[in-house]
Amino acid sequence: MFSKKTTIAIAVLSFLGLLDSSYLAAKHYSGEIPPCAILQGCDIVTTSQYAEVGGVSVALLGVIYYLIVFISSIALLDSRKDSLAKLLSRFVIIGFLASLWLIFLQVFIIKAFCLYCLFSAFTSVSIFVIGMFFLLKKPLASA
Amino acid sequence: MKKTNRIILWSSIAVLVIGSAFAMAKLANKPQAVENGSNLALTINAISDTENVKGNKEAKITLIEYSDFQCPACAAYYPLLKQISAEFGNDVRFAYRHFPLPQHKNAKIAGIAAEAAGKQGKFWEMHDMIFENQRDWAEEKDAAAIFANYAADLGLDLTKFSNDISSQEIKDKIDSDYKSGLKAKVNSTPSFFLNGKKINNPRNYDEMKALIQAELQ
Repeated sequence: MFSKKTTIAIAVLSFLGLLDSSYLAAKHYSGEIPPCAILQGCDIVTTSQYAEVGGVSVALLGVIYYLIVFISSIALLDSRKDSLAKLLSRFVIIGFLASLWLIFLQVFIIKAFCLYCLFSAFTSVSIFVIGMFFLLKKPLASA
Repeated sequence: MKKTNRIILWSSIAVLVIGSAFAMAKLANKPQAVENGSNLALTINAISDTENVKGNKEAKITLIEYSDFQCPACAAYYPLLKQISAEFGNDVRFAYRHFPLPQHKNAKIAGIAAEAAGKQGKFWEMHDMIFENQRDWAEEKDAAAIFANYAADLGLDLTKFSNDISSQEIKDKIDSDYKSGLKAKVNSTPSFFLNGKKINNPRNYDEMKALIQAELQ
């Protein structure tokens, strides 16, 4: 089981991720034509063809992902179920892989960075690291 | 956890999530703060004889666009502005100013091509072709050759066109537009000034039209 502190850390990180991705999603669906900025970055990344998957904004997928992680972490604080902790630790691998892919796109394909997207990568990688500590530590602790 | 605590926990979480979703949506749609000094408004709004102006030159309303030919957003605004000119050409004079962003490697040569066409009285025709075909030249190595083809399509004198392309006068003009944009705190394209005041980019034709009608009254 996660310690209470760890669970709160996951809740805080996923909540920050949730704020970040909802901001980007709201921008995406605001109907604004994103201008080209002198300091390039977000305008290029968020208007690239990779900003949508099957017509759905990547930011919106982020909102759904962080919402699930956030609600699960609160549920963990509430119920303290070991099975839920395990499930959550596995689930956050999705966020980690998605972040790796998005960072790869920014570095090698789009060649521009968006601070909001990098912040999301930071939160999802941190949550992943916490999850991995939990999953990998488990057998040692029980041995 | 006690039942009442549990209810408090989950309802505060619900309030937190819904509240922050609203806050983020509001933040994302917040208009940018626009600074306007009256002196700035006057200098920005002054249209010189060498500028590319469309519509009634004596019109009361001046709409200035700082634009980059290679910027996709500028291309997206192009049909909207064309419609504004068609509908309000008598009341609005529309000026195009160059603001080629450093990351767009063909933006400057596109501006130069448009100015060179302007030397033969066809700035707006070239301007239209450049925007309409943005995808064809934006990432090309030899965009100048493509613009020369447009010049041929417009029936321009090609020798004069290619001489004008390399003239210092045109380069200076584009630089001076860029500098006036920096002075007006332009940091993205397109940026619009309506009677000297920077406006938040309208999201569609109706919003642009409403701004102009408000100015007309």
